[in-house]
Amino acid sequence: MKNPLRKRLPREIRSEFGKYIVIFLLMVATIGFVSGFLVADNSMLIAYQDGFEKYNIEDGNFRTADRIYRSQREDIEKLGITLYENYYIEATLDNESTMRFFKNREEINKVCLMKGELPKAAGEIAIDRMYADNNQLAVGDTITSGEHSWKITGLVALSDYSCLFQNNSDSMFDAVKFGVGVVTPEEFDTLNQDKLQYNYSWKYEQEPADEVEEKEISEDLMEEIGKIVSLESFVPRYTNQAITFTGEDMGGDKAMMIMLLYIIMVIMAFVFGITISNTIRKEAAVIGTLRASGYTRRELISHYMTLPVLVTLAGALAGNVLGYTVLKNVCAAMYYGSYSLPTYETVWNAEAFLLTTVIPVLIMLVVNFCVLRHKLRLSPLKFLRRDLSGKKQKRAMRLSPHIKIFSRFRLRVIFQNMSNYLVLFIGILFANLLLMFGLLLPSVLSHYQTEIQKNMLANYQYMLQVPMGAMTGSKLEELLNLLTFYAEVRTDNETAEKFSAYALNTLPGKYKSEEVLLYGVEKDSKYVTADLGDGVYISSAYADKFRIRPGDTITLKEKYEKDEYSFTVDGIYEYTAGLCIFMSRDKLNEAFDLEDDYYSGYFSDTPITDIRKKYIGSVVDLDALTKISRQLDVSMGSMMGMVNGFAIMIYMVLIYLLSKIIIEKNAQSISMVKILGYTNWEISRLYILSTTIVVVICLLVSLPVERAVMEVLFREMMLSSISGWITMWVDPMIYVQMFGAGLVTYAVVALLEFRKIKKVPMDEALKNVE
Amino acid sequence: MFLQIQGIKKSFGSGDSRVDVLKGLDLEIEKGEFCVLLGPSGSGKSTLLNIIGGIDSADEGKLIIDGECLAEMSEKKLSVYRRKHLGYIFQMYNLIPNLTVRENVEVGAYLSDQPLDVDELLHTLGIYEHQRKLPNQLSGGQQQRCAIGRAIVKNPDILLCDEPTGALDYNTSKEILRLIETVNQKYGNTIVMVTHNDAIKDMADRVVKLRDGMIRKNYRNEHKVSADELDW
Repeated sequence: MKNPLRKRLPREIRSEFGKYIVIFLLMVATIGFVSGFLVADNSMLIAYQDGFEKYNIEDGNFRTADRIYRSQREDIEKLGITLYENYYIEATLDNESTMRFFKNREEINKVCLMKGELPKAAGEIAIDRMYADNNQLAVGDTITSGEHSWKITGLVALSDYSCLFQNNSDSMFDAVKFGVGVVTPEEFDTLNQDKLQYNYSWKYEQEPADEVEEKEISEDLMEEIGKIVSLESFVPRYTNQAITFTGEDMGGDKAMMIMLLYIIMVIMAFVFGITISNTIRKEAAVIGTLRASGYTRRELISHYMTLPVLVTLAGALAGNVLGYTVLKNVCAAMYYGSYSLPTYETVWNAEAFLLTTVIPVLIMLVVNFCVLRHKLRLSPLKFLRRDLSGKKQKRAMRLSPHIKIFSRFRLRVIFQNMSNYLVLFIGILFANLLLMFGLLLPSVLSHYQTEIQKNMLANYQYMLQVPMGAMTGSKLEELLNLLTFYAEVRTDNETAEKFSAYALNTLPGKYKSEEVLLYGVEKDSKYVTADLGDGVYISSAYADKFRIRPGDTITLKEKYEKDEYSFTVDGIYEYTAGLCIFMSRDKLNEAFDLEDDYYSGYFSDTPITDIRKKYIGSVVDLDALTKISRQLDVSMGSMMGMVNGFAIMIYMVLIYLLSKIIIEKNAQSISMVKILGYTNWEISRLYILSTTIVVVICLLVSLPVERAVMEVLFREMMLSSISGWITMWVDPMIYVQMFGAGLVTYAVVALLEFRKIKKVPMDEALKNVE
Repeated sequence: MFLQIQGIKKSFGSGDSRVDVLKGLDLEIEKGEFCVLLGPSGSGKSTLLNIIGGIDSADEGKLIIDGECLAEMSEKKLSVYRRKHLGYIFQMYNLIPNLTVRENVEVGAYLSDQPLDVDELLHTLGIYEHQRKLPNQLSGGQQQRCAIGRAIVKNPDILLCDEPTGALDYNTSKEILRLIETVNQKYGNTIVMVTHNDAIKDMADRVVKLRDGMIRKNYRNEHKVSADELDW
């Protein structure tokens, strides 16, 4: 005979439909979203990883000043690699973005065509899909650069640009102002050949076994190639952000999502736990009778555990169906909104199924089992007597008789429901943390933008590009070239001030090695107004990121060599746009063996117009400095709206469930005071106001806790996901918004609860009283 | 002897607030006997019933049922003991609110390997036509009938009744007593009933009167009458 108690389950669901549907929907939404995310993440990661072979992605690339001769090429290939030309030319388009033109690739870094077709004739181009989306371009549109224009024939993903980093040292990729595209070789030859970049990709003849070996091999390779040709850049694949950033980011997101799922599951398990405690209290006499009749504790535990586990299982299965169908596309769109990934095929993900179905059910099983085991440990007699306190309450907490009766009543309600309120606090903490996360990003980005604007070193920083001839060749040749260069880059702009610059890298450690720019500035510089003297200052971004204080010593290394340099920090300079070190120009030139009057650029408040463009390597202005915030806004802005919605949903569900439990728990007392003649309004003041007080206190107390937790999370996120640094900044309005959102949400729930109080029948008090 | 109670003592609290509820009771009940425990509130009759039912334990003394000593049983064994041998009826019916009358009876049947026929039992109890109703659709008497059905469907050796008519009016009480009498006669269960209604003693085979935790009277009722003849 099957246990007849199971017949209660569907009736229990019907009678508590509101509660179960809310929990079920929250489960479906959470599990669906996480499952969709994991499936999309995994499928795209597989597509991304398969892409290495499918599209024959390079093992690295380097750039030289001049075309490599055949003999040089042969010498290089003797080092155990195969070289491929991967030249490109950049042009500034009329929409003020930069387009990097490649010839269509047939051997290496092949192109994935996502829409339309590849260019077949002159004047045609296939551009990166991501860039096209961000600039509202579609197949059939035309892009122009001055007099030159190209018709877009297709949208593509270049396998070596899954993330649109213009330069490998950039803090963040920029899929808005930087794009890549392929044209026919004939069309490529019509582009401005002065700007041709001699970029070469390589593939190892024998693949390194692991990253350690790859690192060793590539370091040796760089030295050896450096002896044959003069290198302008050297980027092994594992350091190439345009290729690796996507894969690393996908892995990081996955961990975050799984953590989110489990936190929600544990909270839901506790909500179930409290619900069950409430049911056990309500059914104490029945449980006592069943136990007295011979039902074992195990039978009752499994009976009361069935519904939470079934609801979780149903939620998980429905969530997975939703995840595989609808939400997968939403999550994939989020990735497509950030990265130029090739097309993917949905891959069944056993791990996702385990993480989103088996583990939530297990969490529910374990938490509920523990709660039930604890609750049902009492003897049948105690259940029959409805004495469920476990230990005897010695006496009621003393409350001063000077406190008004209503306040005392409310205090008693609060003390009686402490365990429920504790879960409520944890729920509020978590929901608010999510909300804070959602609200924080826009505020951080706008603050970052303002700060950058406020403490820019100069409106324009011109980085000069020393011709390669000035660095190589005979001494005499070098000197002559350098003299010509300095003559050509002289400016009459009165606001211009020389500086020298040198780039070093941080030592690789827990986080990847990052570029630090060293500025050598004039003694009485009007742009860097610190009393540098003979000392070294670091930018506040650098100090914040690595928690460096004056007096500390920092060690940096040459990017492509093993030489290390150490500096003792004398002070922090308020500059948030990058990781920088400031010292006097003399000191920098001396430290790096540069000529005494060497300089590499100008600070200027007005545009410098009298230097030939070919000598200007780059111009750092506000637009360039705010690249990070712009891209983060594009990539994550839409996600933040979802996070906020989700946070409010969790918040509502928790408050609804917990205050419902509190009302139910007190139904008998509510009924009794109704009989005494209290109005519904007065009863609401007793019961709902108690919860209101607790909610307000929880909201206020949770704010500083959330701030502290967020600081740790934000720091970790920034350290692992971006180069450079964005300071966390919480706009005070965020606290107001969080508090307000909490109160409004609570008000909605309180209204529902008021209706519930109105519905408590008066005979409730007369039932089940022995 | 089917049920032997030897020197049972039980107290609650400690120190000054210690109350001796049972002060060393000896009692023997035969198989199939209908025993009534009588006494005023606080006399210890319900405590004794709970000890017999294995849901409370004695501080001292022995309780032997059909040769098995309860004091030596683990909690698990006690559960099995209750499952196999006992049926419980309370003053409050303690029915499961979201199960029908029939299902509430089936909850009891589930515990037995050889339960009584549920349909027949429902007929005997006079609630067959209400079998699809939920407890809150029934009168107090009907609910108590259902509770009796739940207790006896597993055909227990001992039926323990704690003030089964305490919440019922005169007529309904008599109906219930008649039913318990029928059950006793039809199925031959040993019945131990706690009551403070002195009139009920007349229908019992054995009458045990308690006061202040001690047995004041214990006799076999030689002039047993049927429940119909009771009056109070």
